[in-house]
Amino acid sequence: MDTQDKNPELASREVMLPDMVPPPVDLLDVPNDAAVSIVPGEVIAVPSDLKPKKSPTPLQESLRRLRRDKRAMLSLSVIALFIVIPIFGPFIYQHIGGLYQSILNGQIGPGVYHNPFHQELDRQDEFISAQYWLGTDAIGQDLLARLMQGMLVSLTVAALVEVVDIGLGVLVGVLAGYFGGWIDQLLARFTDLMFAFPGLLFAILIVGIFGEYADTYLSNIPLIGGNGNARLILVAFALAFSAWPMMARYVRGQTLQLKEQQFVEAARTVGTSNARIILRHIIPNLFSIVVVAATLDISNTVIGEAGLSLLGLGVRLPGSSIGLMIAKALPVIDTYPWELLLPCIALTTIVLAFSFLGDGLRDAFDPRSKDS
Amino acid sequence: MLQFLVKRLIGFLFVLIGVTFITFLMGFLAPGDPIRTLLSEHFRPDLYAQLRHEYGLDLPWYQQYWNYVTHLLRFDFGLSFKEQDRPVWDLLKDGVPTTAELGLWALFLQIVIGVPVGVVSAIKSNSWIDTLNMGTMLTFFAIPSFVLAALVQVAIVWLDINTNLGWPVANWGNAWQYTWPDIQSKLLPILVLTAGGMGYFARVARTSMLEVLRQDYVRTARAKGMIERVVISRHALRNAMIPLVTVFGFSLGLIITSTFFIEELFNIPGIAQLTVTSITDRDYPVIQATVVLLAVTVVLGNLVADLLYAVVDPRIKVQ
Repeated sequence: MDTQDKNPELASREVMLPDMVPPPVDLLDVPNDAAVSIVPGEVIAVPSDLKPKKSPTPLQESLRRLRRDKRAMLSLSVIALFIVIPIFGPFIYQHIGGLYQSILNGQIGPGVYHNPFHQELDRQDEFISAQYWLGTDAIGQDLLARLMQGMLVSLTVAALVEVVDIGLGVLVGVLAGYFGGWIDQLLARFTDLMFAFPGLLFAILIVGIFGEYADTYLSNIPLIGGNGNARLILVAFALAFSAWPMMARYVRGQTLQLKEQQFVEAARTVGTSNARIILRHIIPNLFSIVVVAATLDISNTVIGEAGLSLLGLGVRLPGSSIGLMIAKALPVIDTYPWELLLPCIALTTIVLAFSFLGDGLRDAFDPRSKDS
Repeated sequence: MLQFLVKRLIGFLFVLIGVTFITFLMGFLAPGDPIRTLLSEHFRPDLYAQLRHEYGLDLPWYQQYWNYVTHLLRFDFGLSFKEQDRPVWDLLKDGVPTTAELGLWALFLQIVIGVPVGVVSAIKSNSWIDTLNMGTMLTFFAIPSFVLAALVQVAIVWLDINTNLGWPVANWGNAWQYTWPDIQSKLLPILVLTAGGMGYFARVARTSMLEVLRQDYVRTARAKGMIERVVISRHALRNAMIPLVTVFGFSLGLIITSTFFIEELFNIPGIAQLTVTSITDRDYPVIQATVVLLAVTVVLGNLVADLLYAVVDPRIKVQ
């Protein structure tokens, strides 16, 4: 059935490596020259491909499939930029450019006028120029600097949400799937309950009611508290809270399947404890499903943060967020559409990149899912 | 069948209790003292105690929750903080028809456009029609609704400036009335709200149709010489529609989330816009009321979808 199983070395090792899930069937992966026509009497030259060699692990196989997926690789590079630009971009950008004789602020360097919070009130609504690479907004702030700051906010929220999402989702999902019983019942009821608050509805409720607390108590936290970012933690918490039941549900389903696999049965037969089975045999095999679900969820999280900030519930002035940039550009849509298009393009690119990478990862980990 | 119904109804009741409890808890924990907001800066302590008693805020939490639920059943969502002595329902009742109109049109168009597109894609699978259809649909599904709304507005403003089209950008006519100016202002918001769920319907319709076309009975129908049109309309299509019922609930949720952005960006006087305004005004009872209304709508929608599923899928009746 499978090219891997024919490998005698692997077949003998399989008993000792109970973690090995049979790699997915992918007939296209059989090299073409493996089908050697045999003429009687002729000396058969064994192609070098068929000589026994170290066979790739399922993970390596998946990564190889991913590397061949052009759309996923393009998305991956976009995501790499999405991570690198907001972290290192501002440092570089604030060192590029000469001194500028400002009418209002005297002589200032790029460290000042490329700062996302600096206003140059006589340079409003400008288009792309050498000084302002992506132009300025209605109060003379540098749009590129604002965009990078906004991307940093998206990145921070996405990271916070995924930590909670993966942590809680895997913990509850594994326990519910492995042990069943009351924890499974509880998860099922809780998931049903959270599905009554679709998408952002729960986040809107939480941020709408507790936003005032956050403004009062969280604005003194360094880095993510000040500059209008006080509600970021609240936004992240609300988004994570409505995201993790879905993750738990995926993990539970996968755990139920893994529990029935022979290697788990074998481990149980030799007296391995439940804790050890979960840690050594179940959790490592959840890797693919968790990575796919988390990648697709980041896309929702980035939209969620931008949307909440657009409604005035997330990041507020003087802070910057992609959603806030859209909200600020809406009144000048007739005269300066560029200010609206820029954050829209940036957000769409990021969101599509995560969706495409998620789809690509799913196909790479499980090629059979491709046509469904 | 009966067992299925009973199980679903119990689940429905449980979720309703949970939803109302969560919204109640939010109001319970909300910052600020409502009575203090009601009275201004200077007040008499005895008046404060009296009002607190009248509003039932001195009761233990479980009695307050009970009062909250019994009031909800009578469509009594309490009094607004901002517009004093005005019931929340008074503020909401003008917005409900507008939001319902927007959402129902979007849901209708999603099914009417999305499903046929997905079915055609499945029949012509792996042709250029399939690629074009699904490319468009998946893009609509992936783009956030507020980005789509903003892009549509940029395009309309640009057209209005450069031609003498004079199309309204952000407006809403009279609820449930369709004169030409009404249609003009309603068309774009409804279409933008349609886009996301339409892509999802198309995707599920395509998958489901492909699955059915692979079945043995479709091959049998073809083998006995049945015309392809009849094979598709009578044998494949009917069975492919069954899984679509489950999309209904998801799509309703998508519409409700997007409504907040559409109403905000297109300036539509529905309950979602009112909620956003109430958040800035810290009018917590209004937020609680809209969230409860929307959540109950979703739960009811899911219940209807479940029941429909039981009706269209004969296998559930047997179980």
